[in-house]
Amino acid sequence: MQELLKLVIDENDIAFHPSTGNSYQLNDIAKEIINFLKEGKDKDTIIEEIAREYGKDRKEVYIDVSDFLNKLKIYGLI
Amino acid sequence: MKIAVSGLNATDNPAPGIGVAKSLIDEYDVIGLSYDANEPGNYLEITKKNYLMPYPSLGYEELKNRLLEIKKKEDIKALIPNLDAELMLYVKYQKEIEDLGIKLFIPREKNFELRNKSSLSSLAPKIGLKYPETFVVNTISEMQKVAQKIGYPFMVKGNYYKAYKVYNFDSACDAFYKISNEWGFPILIQKTVSGVEVNLVGVGDGEGELKGAIVIKKLTTTTLGKVWTAITIENENLLKTAKKFVEMTGWRGPFELECMAEGENINVIEINPRFPAWIYFATGVGVNLPKMVVKLMTGEKVNSNLDYPTGKLYVRFTDETIVDFDKFKKLVTNKEL
Repeated sequence: MQELLKLVIDENDIAFHPSTGNSYQLNDIAKEIINFLKEGKDKDTIIEEIAREYGKDRKEVYIDVSDFLNKLKIYGLI
Repeated sequence: MKIAVSGLNATDNPAPGIGVAKSLIDEYDVIGLSYDANEPGNYLEITKKNYLMPYPSLGYEELKNRLLEIKKKEDIKALIPNLDAELMLYVKYQKEIEDLGIKLFIPREKNFELRNKSSLSSLAPKIGLKYPETFVVNTISEMQKVAQKIGYPFMVKGNYYKAYKVYNFDSACDAFYKISNEWGFPILIQKTVSGVEVNLVGVGDGEGELKGAIVIKKLTTTTLGKVWTAITIENENLLKTAKKFVEMTGWRGPFELECMAEGENINVIEINPRFPAWIYFATGVGVNLPKMVVKLMTGEKVNSNLDYPTGKLYVRFTDETIVDFDKFKKLVTNKEL
């Protein structure tokens, strides 16, 4: 999580990690999830909030959020 | 004040001299020291004047005589040597050169040897780094034995320059001959390590303090591994390591840590006892290390500067200049321009 907190997101939604020099292009939901994580929200809360905001089925959101969190793990950000 | 700077090449294997000179010219007159009239830095008009130097292999007497001639004409007060091949001579005879009235700020001989590629395995753990297993070989059959032991791929490296990643015996032999024909022996065989390449350039004050440093990540490189684009990053582990390295060795002058980083793990690949060719990147982000070296060698107070912006992009590009051929002839004939 410490690595995720270092991400600097610019006005073009590109997240820059100052320790590795890696940049990531984020879409709206990715940016939203990262901001939720930075606020300290857990996975279940994030799923609930996104499902409510976008009017989607919780199961569907669960799969996408899990997939995204796995990607963050692979990138060493959480 | 006139400062001599060597390493004026700027072709596919660029030297640090031009970057060092560009970092100094707003405050000092820079005199270029060149080994070849073909080195681009002789013609870029960054330096006030350029002198051809005798090859380091000719020894100290030749170097001393040439430095005395240049000193007489230009009254150079200081010299920043930037090439691996010449550094040993400057390190060994630094007292004698300083007695000529030319200040240096380079490592002492014992420290210079300590970071030699063949000695890094014992230094690395002391400064909290890992060092990929490395074998010193002098023949193809020795290399073959190592290959059987560690398997492919591995790195074939010269003791001073060049490194090739090889994937089979044929490419290993090719790399072995390429390096030994150009740079001699020994040849180093090194296990490959994973991670991203991160580099730190810094300056030690000779009393154990790291005075300035920046950390970069190379984004794109040439086939020789020379940087095309790079980005400034912050890497606390590497910075801590650099501080420890300077403190432990009492490092005097510039150095470059070339590392592979994977999470918390940092493998040191090389420690160069000089500025890297991308040194102007540090100057460009506000950490003027060449000026720091000049101030340290002249005894001026130097404030530490380890603060620089991350996310700055370094872009190297090719350029051309047209000069009269007479300049080339003059440099070859008179050994100065």
